[in-house]
Amino acid sequence: MNNLRLVVFFLVLSILFSCASNQNNEYITSDSISVSEFSSSVELLVSNTNFLEDEILKINAKNPSVQRILVNSDVYLREGKLIQANSELERALRITKKEGAIYLRLAHLRHIQGLLAESKSFASRALLIKDISSWERLLLNVYLKRPI
Amino acid sequence: MKIKLTLGSLGIIALIIVFVISASVVAIIDSRVTNKLDGVLWTIPAKVYSRSLDLAEGSKVNKSNLMKELGMLSYSENRSPSKPGEFTYSKDNLRIFLRGYEDQKSGLFEVSFKDGTVTKITNQLGISVDIVRFEPIAIGGMYPSHMEDRILLSWSQVPSILIDTILSVEDQNFFNHKGISFRSISRAFFTNVKAGDIEQGGSTITQQLAKNLFFTSEQTIKRKVMEAIAALLIEFHYSKEEILLAYINDVFLAQSGKRAVHGFGMGAQHFFGTSVTNLETDQIALLVGMLKGPSLYNPRRNPNNATKRRNLVLGILQKGRHINSSSLEEYKSRPLKVVSPSFRSETKYPAFHDLVRLELRENYQDPELRTQGLKIQTNLDPVLQESLENSIKKTKAQLIKKYGKELTELEGAALAVDIASGEIKAVVGSSDPSKFGFNRSINAIRPIGSLVKPFIYLTALNKYDEYNLTTILDDSKLSIKSGGEVWEPNNFDKKFHGKIPLHVALWQSYNIASARLGIELGYDSVQETFNKLGIRKSIERYPSLFIGSFEMSPFDAIQSYQTIAADGFYSPLRSVRDIKDLNGNIDLSYPYKIEQRLRPEPVHLLKFAMKQTFISGTARGYPKKNIESWQAGGKTGTSDDQRDSWFVGFAGELLVLVWLGFDDNRPTPLTGRSGALEVWKNFINDVQPSSVEKNSFPRVKYIWTDKKDGLVSGQKCKNSVLVPFIIGTEPNTIPSVRNKCASKPKRSKSDVMQKLKKVFEEGQG
Repeated sequence: MNNLRLVVFFLVLSILFSCASNQNNEYITSDSISVSEFSSSVELLVSNTNFLEDEILKINAKNPSVQRILVNSDVYLREGKLIQANSELERALRITKKEGAIYLRLAHLRHIQGLLAESKSFASRALLIKDISSWERLLLNVYLKRPI
Repeated sequence: MKIKLTLGSLGIIALIIVFVISASVVAIIDSRVTNKLDGVLWTIPAKVYSRSLDLAEGSKVNKSNLMKELGMLSYSENRSPSKPGEFTYSKDNLRIFLRGYEDQKSGLFEVSFKDGTVTKITNQLGISVDIVRFEPIAIGGMYPSHMEDRILLSWSQVPSILIDTILSVEDQNFFNHKGISFRSISRAFFTNVKAGDIEQGGSTITQQLAKNLFFTSEQTIKRKVMEAIAALLIEFHYSKEEILLAYINDVFLAQSGKRAVHGFGMGAQHFFGTSVTNLETDQIALLVGMLKGPSLYNPRRNPNNATKRRNLVLGILQKGRHINSSSLEEYKSRPLKVVSPSFRSETKYPAFHDLVRLELRENYQDPELRTQGLKIQTNLDPVLQESLENSIKKTKAQLIKKYGKELTELEGAALAVDIASGEIKAVVGSSDPSKFGFNRSINAIRPIGSLVKPFIYLTALNKYDEYNLTTILDDSKLSIKSGGEVWEPNNFDKKFHGKIPLHVALWQSYNIASARLGIELGYDSVQETFNKLGIRKSIERYPSLFIGSFEMSPFDAIQSYQTIAADGFYSPLRSVRDIKDLNGNIDLSYPYKIEQRLRPEPVHLLKFAMKQTFISGTARGYPKKNIESWQAGGKTGTSDDQRDSWFVGFAGELLVLVWLGFDDNRPTPLTGRSGALEVWKNFINDVQPSSVEKNSFPRVKYIWTDKKDGLVSGQKCKNSVLVPFIIGTEPNTIPSVRNKCASKPKRSKSDVMQKLKKVFEEGQG
């Protein structure tokens, strides 16, 4: 799995380089990457729901307390207890609003709940956070660019 | 046919009549007993709670606010906290014995702070824990007309010492009798004669329950007989445990304003601010002792009587060997330590309560709220709420002192919300915030004055290929025909300011430049922005709209500013977090909703101009250090003839809006700056919001520009200000007069590499 992530990571970087000079006039945010710009292999990977969820739940928060709450939320999510999972994520947000891992899970959760516009907005909001990793950025872009 | 009535037959008839009447009475009582005890035993009002406070590693905490909250939770200072509800604070270190709440267990915890941030939390074994949760504060309820308030206990929640104490004092023979006990009556009689005081009652617990549930307290033979019949029937239908539990949940313990406090669950909360499971023996003795005379032995009103009675109960416990002699002396020496009631009427915070009701109305019928024991957890922050109330009151007093008694009837409203999530943290609907009645935060629809201007400027900045912050606006005399009349707006200082950059026109709140801009943009564009900000009302197509004739309630106004403060992400304001049923299961939750309504970059530009309001504009005078750390911004608003004074401002994670004015709409001597801003400042200075990190806007760059002509300037030039631009929209022209002090930044190789690195790391598309 680590090798797979590495491959995906380099693919992402190559895409980022390739689109660096493009000015994106889309409504959402300046940091978005159009799905059409993902390579076909990245598209294939992120369109696999199980793979995507696994990758999202692997993203750790920097703050250990928040991480502990996210673990609880992930358990609820796996059990299909979406309201409880959401409550935990909101609890984490009250501690800090600077963790991409929280927003990423919220985007994923809303997507599962069928609230696609909200999922997209959470992803867009997370892209305003400083210091989020390229991998988080790519995963957020998946929700940002999914058709509503 | 004649019937001969003999004395014997008359007697038989009388007996039959008596039997039929008695049987009917018994049947009626039996029906009442089973109906009441088989169905919903009691109507349990919905309880409304504040948010519960989490402390986690990394949480930003204001020490003074934390201390205030501990006070409101009735935690008391003790150098060596040893029981629930005690704490000590010294040198950035809080040692606290938590009472426990939901998944948070009761126990001793140590919380370390550094620079206002939680750095470490350990339990009593020294093991690191990530998070501790405080219990929420009860702030009100949705009561039935009789205003009975109780917290229903299940059998497992009843401490054994409570059962021992009740039985020792009220009915020692409870498990042996069948509802009435002649033995109890005679023993109580002899015990009381011997003690020279009433230590025991003659009625069994079952009789007392019957009396409480079905009869009045009148002392007649008839009532006593009925009570005895009901007691026998209760014993016939129900187990001893069921009867005792019903008694524990039903007994009347106190009257608090309009509320009647029933049951030991509510009694523990009302007198000790905690759950019954946290009570110590002396506290239980006090509550059980009160059963004899809830008013006479009320520890707040009659502490001496209550202490004597408590000690008497403790003595009974010692005689029954439930406690030993040394414990008896220790318990007797303790002070009563009852806490202040958190609220006396329906709610402590009427304006917030209104919002909760409005929000719940869509999902709950009134009877459900009044009877089913729902637990409503809200977003209210009790410290912020108290501070906002005090700020309105304090400012009004200051204004009366400054402007005279003409402001005695000045009214006000204010709201504080979490910018990102839309959680409503505090609401005030009157200058006398504890008063029930007209809630101005939602019901006062008033002209918003210059609070409208950021909406107009945002409309322009959103057309970023046409406008930026240094676009030159015209603040010269304007005269246009509107509605058959000539409309000539004026500036507050009665001057014209000519050509000025857009951001200056906003933070100086110039009316004419704003009106011209609005007219240029057109009503449709402005209406579109209004809608994006959550304003559903249609605008009236008069040019006065652009300088503040538009009317809104404080609630609607802060909603539209939430979208601005949150960089274009609209989140509906919500006062309720979730609702749990009697079993603690979530019945309904009100989740965080978010909708991106605007691009973040134009909003970021607008927020820059609103920040200037604090630095150089109509709200100037605030320390720059605070403005920067809070990423603060704001806008003053004053309506025609100074009838309304508004201020809205964001600081840290808080957005706060204040309105002041008279209910009858007469002019005030106040502007937004001299009135509402003062409330805002008093509040923010008191709560001291935590600092926030800046968001990332890779497509925005900052350029030094001139405050007058808006062209490129330099850090060393006079009247220059660093202004953000969406990349590609920035000005390039350096006027010759500034050739010396301003120079274009040279692009070196390292700059190119830096830019590439930035692109590489941030994934610009």
